Amino acid sequence: MADEQIRTLEPWWAVARSEEVTSAKPINVDIRDQPIVLWRDAAGIVRALEDRCPHRRAPLSLGCVLANGMIQCGYHGWTYDGETGRLKDIPNLKSGVKFPAHYRATPFAVAESGGFVRVCLDANAAAPSSANERLPLAGTENVTIEHEHYIAALFDDPALVIAIRGLRFTPYLMAELDKHDGRLVMERACQWASPHWPSPFSSDFPVTLRISTDPLTGESDLLLRDDASRPLLAATIAPVPAARGVTQVRWRAKLATQRSGLMATLLGMGAPFKVLNAMDGPALRVLRPSASIHAAALRQAIIAESAHSSAA
Amino acid sequence: MLDLKDAPPASAAPLGAHGDPLKADPRAFAAAVNAWVPHDIVLKDAWFPLAHSFAVTTKPVRRAIYSQPYFLWREGGAAIAAEFHPAEGVRQSKSAFSDAAGRYPVLEKYGYVWCWFGNPANAAPEHLPSIPYLPEEGGLPKHMLGTVRFDCTAPLSLENLIDLTHADFLHADVVGDEKMDKETVEVFYDSESITMVRTCVNKSVAPIMKIFGGVKVDVQQVRQVIRIYLRSHAAIAYGRFSPGDNVQLFHPCVPETRDRTRLDYAMNTSNVRKTNPFRYMMPKASYKVSRQDSSMTSPQSPRYMQPEKRKDLHSPLDEAGQKYRVLMMALAQRQSKGDFAYLDNVSTDCSDLIGYQKA
Repeated sequence: MADEQIRTLEPWWAVARSEEVTSAKPINVDIRDQPIVLWRDAAGIVRALEDRCPHRRAPLSLGCVLANGMIQCGYHGWTYDGETGRLKDIPNLKSGVKFPAHYRATPFAVAESGGFVRVCLDANAAAPSSANERLPLAGTENVTIEHEHYIAALFDDPALVIAIRGLRFTPYLMAELDKHDGRLVMERACQWASPHWPSPFSSDFPVTLRISTDPLTGESDLLLRDDASRPLLAATIAPVPAARGVTQVRWRAKLATQRSGLMATLLGMGAPFKVLNAMDGPALRVLRPSASIHAAALRQAIIAESAHSSAA
Repeated sequence: MLDLKDAPPASAAPLGAHGDPLKADPRAFAAAVNAWVPHDIVLKDAWFPLAHSFAVTTKPVRRAIYSQPYFLWREGGAAIAAEFHPAEGVRQSKSAFSDAAGRYPVLEKYGYVWCWFGNPANAAPEHLPSIPYLPEEGGLPKHMLGTVRFDCTAPLSLENLIDLTHADFLHADVVGDEKMDKETVEVFYDSESITMVRTCVNKSVAPIMKIFGGVKVDVQQVRQVIRIYLRSHAAIAYGRFSPGDNVQLFHPCVPETRDRTRLDYAMNTSNVRKTNPFRYMMPKASYKVSRQDSSMTSPQSPRYMQPEKRKDLHSPLDEAGQKYRVLMMALAQRQSKGDFAYLDNVSTDCSDLIGYQKA
């Protein structure tokens, strides 16, 4: 039942960073096997259509954005309005003909906030809650692993997924994976990469990493804090299931301006945070499931609660 | 391995069983247009130009039609085509496409080595397409010949070619954009061929003609003809430009596999003055244009591998492409019923039809 509910809910996927989408050239992204073209129209609003011209199935992303903000297929020049997907022009026809309503490309819902462009495959979906500030550090990686395994790896060993300058993740959790306010939340103990007792023999840890994950998309807010609960680094990683089992990961991060301690200070030298662009296969293969074991059940519980509250 | 008995798929509606498939009920025609799965069409009993004549020497080269191997070499100057490498001998797994010695019917004409794909007993010279502006004995200089490949199924390459409105967008930097006063498209066909005539009034001059051809004006009158021989997947592209020089291209799309196409082209520019750079540069445009075409047809190709519930949308400018689709499917349907006969002659001189005036 819960699985069916999960499938029927179309989530909002963070398919691009804001700066990746321009009016200069359309870009192609995908959600699983659904190709999508993104661009900004004349008003700067991000538009999303199926990346397939309904004329001869060529990718619209190979076309161009016209001065009026519409997208023109690069094959025969068929031109579409981004908001509705309606066909507006076939240049060679050289007439002001109006096209039937079904002459259109499939539009998708788009929302932009916090430096991410999110797309929902349900064009009529209600807009998501808009986020927070736009974190200044950012990147995009393509990782050859299925989306669900990517999230599980983040839960079980973040070192396979991300790197934080001078930081080591321990196998010990300050809080196991649980549901909080409709999200999957856990907190992992971390150590600085300075001389110290190995984690199995350490009584206390100087840093923790809190991971708060959307149950549908796996989009996760990361918060690195010191032992006085002061934030050191905040990040959002947005994994999206793309074509051929690749997971496309967009991320943004921000380093706290006030950080005490040598290692925390050194976080500001060079890149403090990055998402790894490849998975360590041998390490992943032998990684024993731990936090992720409960993820599926928790995810289902969240969905059930959400459905229940919606019905009420 | 392909077999002569392999049946091409039937499309949604019977086409032309008792007449002209393009004069069927409009709804049947529309259904057929949208039942287009070019990957599934394998037409047999046809000549394919598998190699430029100069490429066939005493050392065997390997070519393919729908993965069927063709080894080409010369013995005593004559071209030989065989299913097996001469060093390999004839294997027991020999197909029905070659004779007891594993050899295919072969002809040499227009500067190409043509091989028969189908029942060897049906091979006949009169099924070899007419190409009026190529010398029958061959001999064009190598700078007018070349090989390019399309990363798609051959019928998509040809549907792309016969719809020249695409050129105004995809090849605007080579052949000019869509700016013109008037455009008309006419379509002629029979059961074995389709011919599209596009006439453009005051069309912006092709950049390649301005840069290399010495055309100084901003607009020119254009008459472009694309004629496709359906079974051979071979097209002739003949363009008359005023002012400007005529373009005489032979564009054979050999389906090496269902998803990849080989094009050994011949661009006969011997009509252009020897001092005009256009004579030498125009044939080289194929290297750029073919990649531009492939950039669109390659992503199209997998989207046409399976029957699709969603219908393609069409405009009045798509008449030639739509008819090409239906004629191909009608031919496939006829072959699926065991009828491989040529109902129309493809070797008859088509000069008048394409508007070519022999010198």
